[in-house]
Amino acid sequence: MTEMKQDQQEIYEKVCSLLEPFNNKELTLNRETDISSDLEIDSVAVLDFIMEVEDEYDISFPMNRISEIRTIGELVEAISELGGKH
Amino acid sequence: MDLFDKFSSLPGQYEKIKAAGENPFGVCIEKIERPTLGIVNGRSTVLAGTNNYLGLTFDESCIAAAQEALATQGTGTTGSRIANGTYAGHRNLEESIARFLDKRSAIVYPTGYQANLGTIAGLCGPEDTVLIDADCHACIYDGVKLSGANVIRFRHNSPEDLDKRLSRIAEGNTNILVIVEGLYSMFGDVAPLKEFVAVKNKHGAYLYVDEAHSFGVFGKTGQGVAEAQGVLDDVDFIAGTFSKSLGTIGGFAASNHPEFELLRVASRPYMFTASISPATVASVTECLEQIRRRGPALMQRLWANASKLYQGVTALGLTVSAPLGPIVAVRMPDRETAVFFWNRLLENGVYVNLAIPPGTPNSTSLLRCSVSAAHTEEDIDAILHAFEEVALGLSASQAAE
Repeated sequence: MTEMKQDQQEIYEKVCSLLEPFNNKELTLNRETDISSDLEIDSVAVLDFIMEVEDEYDISFPMNRISEIRTIGELVEAISELGGKH
Repeated sequence: MDLFDKFSSLPGQYEKIKAAGENPFGVCIEKIERPTLGIVNGRSTVLAGTNNYLGLTFDESCIAAAQEALATQGTGTTGSRIANGTYAGHRNLEESIARFLDKRSAIVYPTGYQANLGTIAGLCGPEDTVLIDADCHACIYDGVKLSGANVIRFRHNSPEDLDKRLSRIAEGNTNILVIVEGLYSMFGDVAPLKEFVAVKNKHGAYLYVDEAHSFGVFGKTGQGVAEAQGVLDDVDFIAGTFSKSLGTIGGFAASNHPEFELLRVASRPYMFTASISPATVASVTECLEQIRRRGPALMQRLWANASKLYQGVTALGLTVSAPLGPIVAVRMPDRETAVFFWNRLLENGVYVNLAIPPGTPNSTSLLRCSVSAAHTEEDIDAILHAFEEVALGLSASQAAE
């Protein structure tokens, strides 16, 4: 359990760093940050950001799975579920 | 709580765009004079954003065919294809399209949007996997959504990225359909179909190419980008529209797959909508015949016009987003400049398409021109003159700041 949490912490930090180029409002990111509405990035930009995540972890997100993800925390969960390895 | 609450951020953006002048998404052509000339706001306006690539909307023989069908078969079929909406003309048109594309069969839909929606959602289900080019048109996004398939986006025009993403899929578990477009409507760039064919063959996937903007425009006989790149036989499914080079409304999909016709009883957007009117059927059928006869000459005119516009625009120091082609999309530095520039062009008697995010890839703002074989030399000169006037005015006002 602790090991999983540590994994997730690493994923969380990586996701935040991948999200920085999209963070034009310079918000302080946390797990509850809503990727689309808080950062005010459009739906296409969200999909482009997800591509960066996919390449980082060598995974593919089906688009219907992406539409269920709103917050950074949910994205971290989804990456770890899909077995994303750094 | 209100149903419209979810659009709360829209009015602000929309008002800002409208405040800059004309509403770019509410332009009314008060009178259409010819394929490339209309009256907008009481002003004679050269139309440079119509997708009317071959300029056949006023073709005499197409109009005559439509009039004849209208007079003899009535105004509409009042039924769907699986009920009373299939006339001899619909069958005949489908055979003509299949013949034109050297495919075994073709299916006609009421719009290009529905052709993609119906074919994709008909072909694919929740057990299948679909890979779409990131820059695909909204109707392809909607089609894959309707299908319920697993959908994965790959990087625009990148066979390497497609290959990588296909490699992540466990072998033999699923049917895989790859969807790309021949010519992309916003930037006007062409897909490397030859390379995509190699990748889809390597992974045993099917390839679906939407030639909406390239049918009648690319290839020696106008079959599209697949013909131009010599891979028509390797493309499993071709989709297209009647509302661009064919000058009416409707769409189609064609294939050599022996079971393709099954979509007629499996594709809901095909089954549960009324069929196109006899006049439309007659006009498209005649238009295909016209392209067979004089397509190469029309294409030559189109490409000569495109070349003149492309060279003129780049000579003004403006940046075009793709190599020479029938879509000349001029890049703008940001949304505000694009809206401003677009308004000044309209005031100078030139209509182009304003394309701004999120309707465009990579948050790009574009002034999108589509060239027509019906554009006269004077039309192209007028477009270039307007671009020059506005560009000069813009740099003068920037210098003054």
